[in-house]
Amino acid sequence: MPNEPPSAAIEPPTVAVAVERALAGLAALGEIGEGDEDAWSYVVDLVAAWRTRLEAVAAARGAERLTAEAATAIATALDEASRISDPYRAIDWCSTLPQVVLTALGEVP
Amino acid sequence: MRFADPVPDARHVVYARIQADPLVARAAELLAEATRTELLLARAAMNGERTDPGIWRAMFPTLFGADVADAAARDRAEAILEVSLRIADRGEQARQQFRGAVVEALTERLLRRRSDRVRRERRVLFDGVPAEIHPYDVTVEDPDRPEIYDCKWGARGIDDDVLHQLDDARRHAAEEGIAVLVAIVVFDAERSCRVRLAGLRAPVAGTRLVSLESLGELARRPPALLAAAS
Repeated sequence: MPNEPPSAAIEPPTVAVAVERALAGLAALGEIGEGDEDAWSYVVDLVAAWRTRLEAVAAARGAERLTAEAATAIATALDEASRISDPYRAIDWCSTLPQVVLTALGEVP
Repeated sequence: MRFADPVPDARHVVYARIQADPLVARAAELLAEATRTELLLARAAMNGERTDPGIWRAMFPTLFGADVADAAARDRAEAILEVSLRIADRGEQARQQFRGAVVEALTERLLRRRSDRVRRERRVLFDGVPAEIHPYDVTVEDPDRPEIYDCKWGARGIDDDVLHQLDDARRHAAEEGIAVLVAIVVFDAERSCRVRLAGLRAPVAGTRLVSLESLGELARRPPALLAAAS
């Protein structure tokens, strides 16, 4: 059922694990976005900027366990991002995905 | 310095139809009241792959979760989601045009809350200076404090050309003794905009930035200079 939100794991992950997954999703988007050759350096810098922000959250709250809703929100966002193949849309999502993840974690993007 | 209508061309005529689409007006009406998270929902859903609303509700539990007790807020989020998915459901080219038109219409709507001199798609002419080909998206034509806005869906859309055009307008106006406020409105996070701006060569010291974080402020006061924006 491709349009069903992925259900959270039985035990929701920690913030550190959720951020690790988000960083992997962000890196994958960045690789696709680099297909827009005119924006290559922007994509590299954009991914780095959001990686720094996400890593700061993991450093501060890494051991904290997510709520089931937050875990589902992040898993759903990562699932959506994984479907993107267009470089321009991927660049947009290099900005959107971290914001969605941070919002789900209760952080200000 | 004076404002003028552009000479209509084929692109202008086609785009004018999209600007006049009721869906654009409805989106702008809803987003003018939106919270930061609702704006993010709109950004994500308008540029997503899937249009099943259940996916997006699951992605934003602070808007649609079981413990959201504020019925009015939930209804507003549902309306924003519905209109965003209607835009996303257009073909790729159409959705790009709709998104751009929404940002422009939203900017106009917010500015109208503090000025009755707001116009769309206007050129700015200076004596002895060749006119720019592309009109500015939104202007506030107050003779004492004119404002010029260029609108972008995402930070990727900011480029040297638009920054140069805005800065040129500001400098030429200053030469005529007029203090023009020039700004870019970007439907994206300030962090992403600053990354983009840092990689461009055009001057930005006299330009202001309105991002998702500061969009609502546009209705209350002119945006801050880029260097001073938080």
